[in-house]
Amino acid sequence: MSNIRILSALTLIALIVGQWFIWAYAPLEETMGLVQKIFYIHMPLAWWALVSFFVVFAASIRHLMTRSAGSDILAGAAAEIGVLLSGLALVSGSIWGRAAWNVWWTWDPRLTTTLIMWFVYAGYLVLRGSSAGGGMGGERRAMVSAVLGVVAFLDVPLVFYSARIWRSVHPAVLASQGGGLEPEMWHTVLVNLAAFGLLWLTLLWARYSLGRAEERAQALLLHGSPDAQGGQAGQGGQA
Amino acid sequence: MLRRAGFIAAKDLRLSVGGGQGLVQAMLLGLLLIFLFSLSRPTGELVSGQAAGAIFWLASAFGLVLVFNDLFSLEEGQGCRLGLLSSPVPEHAVWLGKGLAGFALLVISQAVFLPAAAVFLGQDIQGSWGVLILALIGVDWGLAALGALLGALAQGQGARESLFSVILFPLLLPVLLGGIRIFAGVFSGDAASDQGLWAGIIVAFDAVFTAAGAFLFPFLYTGEE
Amino acid sequence: MGARADSQNPPPVRADLRADIRADIRADIRRVGKFFGSRLVLREVSAQVHAGEALLVVGGNGAGKTTLLKIMAGLCRPTAGEIDLRVAPEDCAYLGHATFLYPRLSAAANLTFWARMYGQTPAREELEAVLSRVGLARVIDEPAGTFSRGMAQRLNLARVFLIKPQLVFLDEPGTGLDPASQELLRREIENLKKAGAGVVWVSHHLTADLPHAESVLFLKDAGAAYFGPASGFDGGDLTC
Repeated sequence: MSNIRILSALTLIALIVGQWFIWAYAPLEETMGLVQKIFYIHMPLAWWALVSFFVVFAASIRHLMTRSAGSDILAGAAAEIGVLLSGLALVSGSIWGRAAWNVWWTWDPRLTTTLIMWFVYAGYLVLRGSSAGGGMGGERRAMVSAVLGVVAFLDVPLVFYSARIWRSVHPAVLASQGGGLEPEMWHTVLVNLAAFGLLWLTLLWARYSLGRAEERAQALLLHGSPDAQGGQAGQGGQA
Repeated sequence: MLRRAGFIAAKDLRLSVGGGQGLVQAMLLGLLLIFLFSLSRPTGELVSGQAAGAIFWLASAFGLVLVFNDLFSLEEGQGCRLGLLSSPVPEHAVWLGKGLAGFALLVISQAVFLPAAAVFLGQDIQGSWGVLILALIGVDWGLAALGALLGALAQGQGARESLFSVILFPLLLPVLLGGIRIFAGVFSGDAASDQGLWAGIIVAFDAVFTAAGAFLFPFLYTGEE
Repeated sequence: MGARADSQNPPPVRADLRADIRADIRADIRRVGKFFGSRLVLREVSAQVHAGEALLVVGGNGAGKTTLLKIMAGLCRPTAGEIDLRVAPEDCAYLGHATFLYPRLSAAANLTFWARMYGQTPAREELEAVLSRVGLARVIDEPAGTFSRGMAQRLNLARVFLIKPQLVFLDEPGTGLDPASQELLRREIENLKKAGAGVVWVSHHLTADLPHAESVLFLKDAGAAYFGPASGFDGGDLTC
């Protein structure tokens, strides 16, 4: 209980430090000016979104192997955070694109991959939320989600690679975005990467604990009253 | 296992071609899409090969959803899924059988879409027929492998077709892009320089999702409601 | 799997629930437990089915009868415990209220398809023989979709004959049948037993079906409240 408070406090401090790095430490980029600072937020968002999707993948495999409820909850938590972060990364990337290349959208392979993954994992969340798996305590829903969690991540490299080839046909709007970063800029990137990593961990932990609590509450609700389920529920209540 | 997969595919084809809803629906929807997109062509102007390729594969993707929804719904009406699962047939044979049947139905419907693209979108096969057919087989393979896996989502009472397409379409993107690029080259006559790369992506997609389908299908296709 | 069961820590199974160990066991289930999510539907259920005998599984709605049968037939996995089937998968048949029929295929085509799934290729005469056994020889080439509920379930029964099973799982097969078809069903279950098959029979009609069973498993509150010879079963407090 207190662990998560400590972690949240650390996260808050790290985010404040990250902001200080962005606004006070990193030099102003010459051609783009203030807008370039989006990069320090955009990049960690996209990065941790990808990590979230990897966690979904790993937890899904674990669920397929062990059928443990915990890995299903973890996969769901990571997917939610991944969709949130990649959504924010898309918005920030789009603003960046508008400022840098004068278009809201471009077939940049990274941006395109992020968008496709956002679609895929948004569909994943819809599946988790729907009754597609049928009732029965969602055991089938967990299994279906796990299969999709694996399939979706297998698609990531293919999507990225195909988006890259696709772009090479259309002339790129701008060749590369992160080419000549000054050392101070790199420091800022790394600090913010770490700060957002802490934020990511906090969110994941909080969402996972919440999922666990939900599961326990459901268990109590379903066979909580001792007279309904004989001796079994007495034990269940203590668990 | 191959024999039994063949029996399942043969049964599915017989039910789908002989009075089935899925194939006819898939063909009609695809034709309708191709026709509707032809409206976006200004009078007197040509549709680019790439646009035609994109429309063709979009029609195929929508057809795929209908085909596989239909294939998997065959087992739902009278509980035949439980019959298959309680029989000694391995689940992989079901996946393979459904995949083969879906592949065949997809090719049949594309035999209609291709002339339709020529008529409504004013396309000609100026490139090589061999490339076209190879690309068609390669892309359809990938579509069928993933369709046969995720089509099992449609089992049970709560599943909806719309959800299936929302999940399937973004996953199909790499192989669809490959199909579009190669078809663009075949339609316009000047083969894209990156044709080899796209062929590589299509083959990689087929390999990854054939393996994933074979491995993951038994987890999806179960007796749990 | 084990961890889940342990965390719920079920009470010890009642000592009187195990029957004598005999040699002709067709299926042996040991301390099977099942959760749907966090809901316990089966707890520590043990039972045996013997060759040529029927095990009647009874209990109120939601007592876990169908779940137990599905677990035994391999249609879903138990959360805990073991299922030991002493027959090959080719020799198991499942007969539920669902008819397992493709409405647009003819009776003969339906039977042929299912026989092929069991690795058999039946001749036309064989199909005619099993169909006349259930009184459907006249409609062998009619699509199954035109059949009444009773005819469809008879065709389903013919499918089971074709498999020549050594272990049969019945999930209330008599639901929705007219008295004549129900009588046919009970008679044929006796015939399957005479042919050496072990039968697991989930039933709602205790009084009518009990005379055809050798042993009874009574499920109550997700656990086994009685397992033993049919003659010793007093009907529990079963009201349905």
